[in-house]
Amino acid sequence: MRLYIGGAYQGQLELARAENPGAAIHADFQETIRGVIARGEDPRSYAGALCEAEPEAVIVSDEVGCGIVPLDAGDRAWREGVGRALCVIAQRSERVVRAVCGIGTVIK
Amino acid sequence: MTLLVTGGSGCGKSAYAERVMEAVAPGEKVYIATMRADGEEGARRVARHRLQRAGKGYRTVECPLDLCRAGVRDGEAVLLECLPNLVANEMFDGGDVSRILPALRALAGGCRHLVIVTQDVFCDAERYGASTRAYMRALAALNAEAARLCDSAVEVVYSIPVVLKGEDPCASSARCASR
Repeated sequence: MRLYIGGAYQGQLELARAENPGAAIHADFQETIRGVIARGEDPRSYAGALCEAEPEAVIVSDEVGCGIVPLDAGDRAWREGVGRALCVIAQRSERVVRAVCGIGTVIK
Repeated sequence: MTLLVTGGSGCGKSAYAERVMEAVAPGEKVYIATMRADGEEGARRVARHRLQRAGKGYRTVECPLDLCRAGVRDGEAVLLECLPNLVANEMFDGGDVSRILPALRALAGGCRHLVIVTQDVFCDAERYGASTRAYMRALAALNAEAARLCDSAVEVVYSIPVVLKGEDPCASSARCASR
């Protein structure tokens, strides 16, 4: 697994594409987790299963957990679910890149 | 050893902070809990954190307000979780935010080891109302003060520690089992 993260529009998708030509890229992973929660699944289990099924996959996500904790319980669950799922993926990834202003920093 | 741990929601801050505590203080230690377990979600969170800490030698001190009354003895190893709750309680629940920093200084001076968990709540696009902005300012100022008075500061990014200041106490410890 490889993971590319960053704030909205920080260039994580472009970095993922440039560094992994031809790889299967899962973009907007934070939105995937919205669907996972809507289906009543556990984000962590979903992430674990994804790592098993597609160990070569490249995951791209916005970081959504660094704002004021939302009043809405559903929004809270989504933000936390994205975090928990990405922890699972980061642990299983051989490379984690964080993008700011289009510049990637390898944090793992 | 004094350490400030920050990061976003669900990024594994608590798990990391507890790993550090295990590494530096495998025996008895103190957990200062600042969260009021209001409602089902709060109760679930508290239960999850309790389970995470079970059997690791923690004495838990509930301290939602007035940190200096936590009753920590000099020389103890302390995990304080977390600043955002403490600031919210002091600010919105009849307390006094200004008493947090002196209490942090006293803890940092007296404890053998101190790990402070905080949270990054500053990176969203929302323009909040005046009271939330005041809260953010107070927490940001305390985060900066805490980082200044700690030996090290680490941001946890989806379980990965990123060093902001000093060193990752886990990096140099054989005891710090990686997950």
